[in-house]
Amino acid sequence: MLRLISTIAAGAIAALAVSGAAEAQDKIKIGYAISLSGPNAAGASITTVPNYKLWFHDIEAAGGLKLGETRVPIEVIEYDDQSSNEELIKAAERLVNQDKVDIMLSPWGTGMNLAVGATFAKYGYPHMAATAATDLAYEMAAKWPNSFWMLGTSTMGANALTEVLTKLHGAGKINAKVAMVSVADAFGIELSNASRPALAAAGFELVMDESYPITTEDFSQLINAAKASGADTFVAFSYPPDTFGLSGTAIALGYNPAAFYTAVGTAFSIYRDVILHDNVDGVLGIGGVDTDDPKFKDYAKRHLEVTGQPPDYWASPVTYASLEILQQAIERVGKIDREAIVKEIQTGTFDTVAGTIKLDRNVNPNVWWAGQWQNGEFHGLAPSSMAGAKEPVAPKPAWKPAP
Amino acid sequence: MIAGDIILSGVILGGIYAMVALGMTLQYGVARIMNLAYGEILVAGAFAAYWLYASHAVSPILGLAVVVPLAFVANWAIYVLLLTPLVNRARSREQLESDTILFTFGLLFVLQGIGLAWLGGQIYGYPYLQLPVDVLGVTVQANRLTAAVIALVIGVGLYIALTQTRTGMAIRAVSVDPRAARLVAIDVPRLSGLVFAAGGALAAAAGVLISMSQTFTVGGGVLFTMKALVIVIMGGAGNLGGTLIAGLILGLAEITVARLVDPNLTIAVDFLIFLVVLMARPTGIFGRSA
Amino acid sequence: MNTARPSGVAVAIAAVVALALFPLTVEGQVLARNGLALATPYHLTLGISLLQYAVLAAAWALFSGPTRYISLATAAFFGIGAYTTAVLSNELPMASIVAIAALIGVAVAIVVGLSTLRLRGMYFVIFTFGLSALILQLVIWFETKITRTVGRLVTNVADEQIYWQLLALAVAVFLVGWFVGRSRLGLALRVIGDDEAVARHVAINTTAAKLTLFSVSAAFMAAVGAVMAPRWSYIEPRIAFNPDISFQVVIMALLGGLGRLWGPLLGVIPLVLIIEYIAANFSSHLQLILGVAFIVIVYFLPNGVAGLIDRWRTEGIRLPAAARPPMPATGGPLLEVSGLRKSFGGVRAVDGIDLTVAPGEILGLIGPNGSGKTTALDLVSGALKPDAGEIRLRGRPIAGLPPHHIARLGIARTFQIVRILESMNCRDNVIAGLAFRPDPLWGEAARERAAALLDRVGIANRADVPAGQLTYIDQKRLELARALALDPQLLLLDEWLAGLNPRELGVGIELVASLRREGMTIILVEHVMDAIRSLCDRCVVMSAGKTIADGPPGAVLAEPEVVAAYIGDAVA
Repeated sequence: MLRLISTIAAGAIAALAVSGAAEAQDKIKIGYAISLSGPNAAGASITTVPNYKLWFHDIEAAGGLKLGETRVPIEVIEYDDQSSNEELIKAAERLVNQDKVDIMLSPWGTGMNLAVGATFAKYGYPHMAATAATDLAYEMAAKWPNSFWMLGTSTMGANALTEVLTKLHGAGKINAKVAMVSVADAFGIELSNASRPALAAAGFELVMDESYPITTEDFSQLINAAKASGADTFVAFSYPPDTFGLSGTAIALGYNPAAFYTAVGTAFSIYRDVILHDNVDGVLGIGGVDTDDPKFKDYAKRHLEVTGQPPDYWASPVTYASLEILQQAIERVGKIDREAIVKEIQTGTFDTVAGTIKLDRNVNPNVWWAGQWQNGEFHGLAPSSMAGAKEPVAPKPAWKPAP
Repeated sequence: MIAGDIILSGVILGGIYAMVALGMTLQYGVARIMNLAYGEILVAGAFAAYWLYASHAVSPILGLAVVVPLAFVANWAIYVLLLTPLVNRARSREQLESDTILFTFGLLFVLQGIGLAWLGGQIYGYPYLQLPVDVLGVTVQANRLTAAVIALVIGVGLYIALTQTRTGMAIRAVSVDPRAARLVAIDVPRLSGLVFAAGGALAAAAGVLISMSQTFTVGGGVLFTMKALVIVIMGGAGNLGGTLIAGLILGLAEITVARLVDPNLTIAVDFLIFLVVLMARPTGIFGRSA
Repeated sequence: MNTARPSGVAVAIAAVVALALFPLTVEGQVLARNGLALATPYHLTLGISLLQYAVLAAAWALFSGPTRYISLATAAFFGIGAYTTAVLSNELPMASIVAIAALIGVAVAIVVGLSTLRLRGMYFVIFTFGLSALILQLVIWFETKITRTVGRLVTNVADEQIYWQLLALAVAVFLVGWFVGRSRLGLALRVIGDDEAVARHVAINTTAAKLTLFSVSAAFMAAVGAVMAPRWSYIEPRIAFNPDISFQVVIMALLGGLGRLWGPLLGVIPLVLIIEYIAANFSSHLQLILGVAFIVIVYFLPNGVAGLIDRWRTEGIRLPAAARPPMPATGGPLLEVSGLRKSFGGVRAVDGIDLTVAPGEILGLIGPNGSGKTTALDLVSGALKPDAGEIRLRGRPIAGLPPHHIARLGIARTFQIVRILESMNCRDNVIAGLAFRPDPLWGEAARERAAALLDRVGIANRADVPAGQLTYIDQKRLELARALALDPQLLLLDEWLAGLNPRELGVGIELVASLRREGMTIILVEHVMDAIRSLCDRCVVMSAGKTIADGPPGAVLAEPEVVAAYIGDAVA
C-alpha cells in the first residue's frame, strides 16, 4: 500500500510539474475554478456554470475567438474549488502557473471573488466578478485595477428597494411600516445596514429588524413575528435556501403582506417552477431584467437550448454580459495582451445581453436591483432609470394554499 | 397566544429534530457504527420522496411505504457488504469507532459524488400541504405539523417496540454491552446489521418528512448528520427516550429564543444547551456512566 | 525518530534547510535566477498547504495522540487565529498578531479543557465540535449585532513569507513534540490514554497534564490560523471557523498513525498530494473519486489507522535522575477512618464505618459481595468522594482529596479487575508509578528502580514485553510492582489474589507475605480465606455497609454474625 501511495504521489508530482507548453497562439486556454461541490454549488450551478458553458458553445460555434484576422479555437480547463477559498486559491495558482491559461474566469459568490482577487491581481488577469455584490466594490477596484464588479454595490440594492416601496406607499398601497429580516452574513448585513438609513429617509418605520443564522430551518417565528408587527411590507435580505424557506412558510402560515420581498433566489426560475408555482405573481425580489428586450429573450432561449435550464432573472444575464465584455475587449485588442485587455474593459463601451455597459471606476453602475414576478416572469422595477423598468404592483394576491 | 405558538411550534420542530436523530441513536448506540454518511441517507430519502411526488404524484406519506423498505434493504447491504469486514477486524470498540469514522467519511463523499453527478448542485423542493391549520387557536403549518405527528408516532412506536418485545430487549442488551449480550445467546452481528439497517430506514423516513416542508440539496446531508449527532450524544447514545427528549428540548429552545430573544441566536442556543448538558451529565441526559 | 542519533539530527536539520530554501527556487526568486529554477509559484502554494496541515496535524497529535481524546476543536482554534488576523491585520505587525492569537488560543483551551475533563470518547468528540460551532455562532452574532461588519479585508502577505512562517511553526511543533515525548509529561499523557483511573492512582495530576498539552496544541493551531489568514484577502467568521478543517486534520492524523512523532506527516503528505492530484485531474467527479480513494485506504491500510489503537512505543529516556529523600518518620496509627458514609442513589454502600490501621499491620477487610469493601477502598484512595466521615493518614485529613493527591501522600492501590497499561511495556508500566510520586524518579534511575521492582515481583525478564501480553498472574504482579513503585506508606490490595489457580495462589501469598516481612502496611480486601488466615494480623468484617466484627482472623471468622452474613449471602 505504501508503494501504491508513493506511486500516486510521484504521479501527482509529475502531473503537477508538467506545464502547458507556451506554443504560438494556435489556441486560447480559458480556465476557471468554481464550486461544483459544497454549499456554493447551488448558486454556481444555477447562475455561473451554465453561462460559461453557453459562452464556450457560442465561441466554438463561431469557430473560435477572433484575434486579428483569424479565429482561434479555445481549450477549457475546469476545476472544483469545493466551496473552499484555500482550494480556490490553489486552483487559481494551478491555472496560471501549470496550465498557463490565457484567460481566467471568476468563481461564484462575493466571498470567493474577494478571496481570489489577489491572485488575479498578482498575475494581471482581468477579473470579471459577475456574482459579487458588495459595498467594497469601489475599494477593491481601486486596490486591484484588473477587477471589475459587475453587480454593483449593496447600497444600490437598498436604494432600489426604497424606491419601489416609496412608489407603493405614495400610491397608498402600503403603510409606512416595514418588517425586515436579514441573513447573518456579509450580504445580509451590508444590505440591512444600507437599508436602515435609506428607508428612514423615505419616511418608513422599521417595526421589525432581525437577523437569522445561515442554515436556519424553521422560519415560523420570523413569519409570525412579522405577521404581528403590523407592517404591510416584509423585506428579507436572504440567501436562496432561506428565500425558499421564508416564502414556503409564509404560504403555509397564511401570511399575506401587501408587499413581500425576498432577496437572492427570488429571481431564479426554480423559484417559480419548483418552489412557488402559481403563487409566484406579485412577489418582489432582488434583481430583475428587461424581459421585453429582444436581446434578453434571445439570450434566454439560447440558454435553455444549450444548457437545458433557463437563466435566472438577475445575475445570469450580467454573467453572460461580463463574458461578452471580455470577448469584445480581447477581440478589440486582437491578441492575448492582458494589460491591454484590462485597459479596454476599464474604458470601453460594450453592447451586451444586459444592455449597453460602460463601467464607472471598474464598477457596473447600471444594474437591476429590484424586480417583481408579474405574469410568470421576473421584471425589473428599479432603478427606474433603467430601460424597460416596470411599475410595481401591490397588494400581492393572497397565497393559494397547496394541498 | 405567543406562549401557545411557541410551545406548539417548538414541539413541532423538536419532533422533527428527534426524528432526524432516531436512526443515528440506533446505528451508533446499538450497532456501534459512527455513521458520518447518515445525513446523505436522509437526503436520499428526501430526493426519493421528491421523485415520487414530482414524477408519479405519490404523496410523501404514501411514499414512506416505498422509501422505508428500500432504505432498509440498502442500508442492510451496506452493513453486510462494506462494514462487516471492518467490524470483524476491529479488536476494540475504539478501533471500530475510528475505522468506521474513516470509512463512512469516504462513503459520504461517494454518495455526494454520485448525487452531484446525477442531480447536480441545485436546490430541490415541492409544495405539499402548504396551508395554515388552526390548532387550539394557534396557526401552524400543516406540512410541518403532519411531519411532526408522524415523527412522534414513529418515535413512540419504536420506544414501545424496544421496551415491550423480545427483539427490543435483545437490542437494548446489545446497546448496554455487546459482549454480555453474546453470552445470553443473542446473535450480536446479525442483530447489529438489522439495527443498522433500521437506523438507515429511519434516516430515510426523516428525509421524506423533512422534504414536505423544506428545500434540500445533494450536499446538505452533513448538517443533518451533525444535528443528529448532537441530539444523540445529548440524550445519551443508544437511549431512545433520551433522543426524543433532547430533540424536543432543542426544538423548544430554538423557537423560544427565535421569538423572545434574538433569532440570530437560535443555533448558538442549541449548542449552548448541548454543552451545558454534557458538562452536567458527561454521558448525556440518560447516558449510562462510562 | 526513535532515537536522536547525530545522523538523525543532521538529516532533520538538512531537511529543514532545504525546505527553507525552496521558495527561493521559485521562478523569479534569487536561486531560480542563478540556474536553480525548480518550482513555480503554484508549487509554493502546494507547499503552504502541506505545511499548514502538517503543523495542524502535528499539533493535534501532540494532545490527541497520547491521550486518545479525539478533538474536533481544531476549527475553533484555527478560526480564533485567523479572525485575530482579520481584526488586527491593519493595526499590528504579523509577529505580534501571531503571538496574540496563540495567547487567545491558550486562554480558550484552558476554559474548554476545564469544562471537558469528565468527558470521554464520542462525548468529548461531539462536545468539541459543538464548542467550535458555538464560538462561530457567537462571533457571527457579535459582528452582526455589535460591530455590524461581517466580512473583513486582510492585508495580503507574500506567499513565501507565509511559507517561512509555517515552516518555523512546523519546526517548533516537532521540537515541542520531541521534548514532550521524552518528558514525564509525555509519559503522563500516555498513561492517561491507556487508563485514566490508573493515571490518577499513580499520582498523576491528570487535569494539569491534559490542560498543558491541550493549550500548547491550541496555541499552535491558532498561530497557523493567524499566519494563513492573509492568503484569503477577505475573512468572514464562516471562512475562519470552517468546521471542515477539524475533520480534515483528524482524518490526516488518524491515517498517518499517532504512534510516532512523524506519524501525522505520513498522513498529511500523501493525502494532500492525492487530493491535489484528483482535484487537478478529475475535477468534475472530485468527490466521488476522493470518496472511493478514501474507502480503499481504510480497507487496505489498516495499520495507519490502527496506529491510533495499537501500542505506541515508549522511547529511550535520558534525563538525570532525581535524588530520593528518606521516608518520613512514623508514629501513631497510620490510617484512621471514622463515620465514613457513601450512598449511591438510595443504597448505602458504606454506612458509617470506623477503622484504624497501625504501621506495619496487615488488615484483612472481608465480607460478602456487595458489603461495601471495594467502595471503602475507593473512598480511602480517593476514587470516590465520601458523603460523610473522616479519613486521616498520619493524622492528616485526606477525605475527598483527588486520587492523584492521595497517591502522592503515600497510598497506593491495585484494582479488583486488574488494570495495567496494556499498550506499554512492563518497564514503562512501573516507571509510570515512579515518575509522578513526590520524589519522582526519571531516566536511568527510574529504569534501574523499575528493573528492581519487576525482579521483586518475579517478572524481571519481562521488562520489554507489552503488558497486554502477560499472563493473568503476571499482570497482577505487574500491577503490584506499579503500586510499590509509588513507595507507599499504605498499600490497598483489592482482591489481588482472586482468580489465581492454586499454584499461582501460593506464589501470590508468598509475595504479600514478603511485603509484610519488609514492614509494609497493607489493607487486604479478599475472599480467599486461606490468605486472610495466613497473612492478616487483624480482620474487619463488613456487611451491608457496616463493620460487624473486628479482631484476629481465627476469632472473627468464627463469630455467629459473620457466619450468618456469609451464609445469607450464599443463600441469596
